[in-house]
Amino acid sequence: MASKLTAFWNHPAGPKTIHFWAPTFKWGISIANVADFSKPPEKLSYPQQLAVTATGVVWSRYSQVITPKNWNLFSVNVAMAATGIYQLSRKIRQDYMSVPEAPLNKV
Amino acid sequence: MAATLKAFWNSPVGPKTTHFWGPVANWGFVVAGLADTQKPTDMISENMTGAMCIYSLLFMRFAYMVKPRNYLLFGVHASNECVQLYQLQRWVNFRMSSHDCT
Repeated sequence: MASKLTAFWNHPAGPKTIHFWAPTFKWGISIANVADFSKPPEKLSYPQQLAVTATGVVWSRYSQVITPKNWNLFSVNVAMAATGIYQLSRKIRQDYMSVPEAPLNKV
Repeated sequence: MAATLKAFWNSPVGPKTTHFWGPVANWGFVVAGLADTQKPTDMISENMTGAMCIYSLLFMRFAYMVKPRNYLLFGVHASNECVQLYQLQRWVNFRMSSHDCT
């Protein structure tokens, strides 16, 4: 157990390096997006959610090609793509697939 | 000119590699942020904007330390940091001015 922890601690993509903290913090974007699941779709930004989705998809690939290989970065980008796709689906559903009511704040 | 283009095309961080397209995808955040500067302030998500400010700061460092070193990635995150900080201060000013009205 102790040796596993030591190995993690000293890993080239471990918590002493930016290779750990940058991807770890990237979870903040997915968490922020999950918090925004409760925001009404008219408050969501198409450009921003498209950027989140595209980034998630491309970076899932990138994380496998860099040195050192970064599974933390891989998993966080898969999550980002998932939250982005969900938010896009919410907004698209409201804008294009629902019965129109009196428009409140259309953008 | 042709030699420079050829060097770029064949570069280890060039368009034949994912080291290029990763940063290109991240320019989406900058473009989205710039587009959103023209929208009303109540459209700004403080959650996303705040997260982006910290995220781009960390990734500026990441881009410098990763192998191969990635100046394209560094540049995109430096730009995103500026845009997101701008949006954040728009939101902060908006919230502070709406509190002043009480």
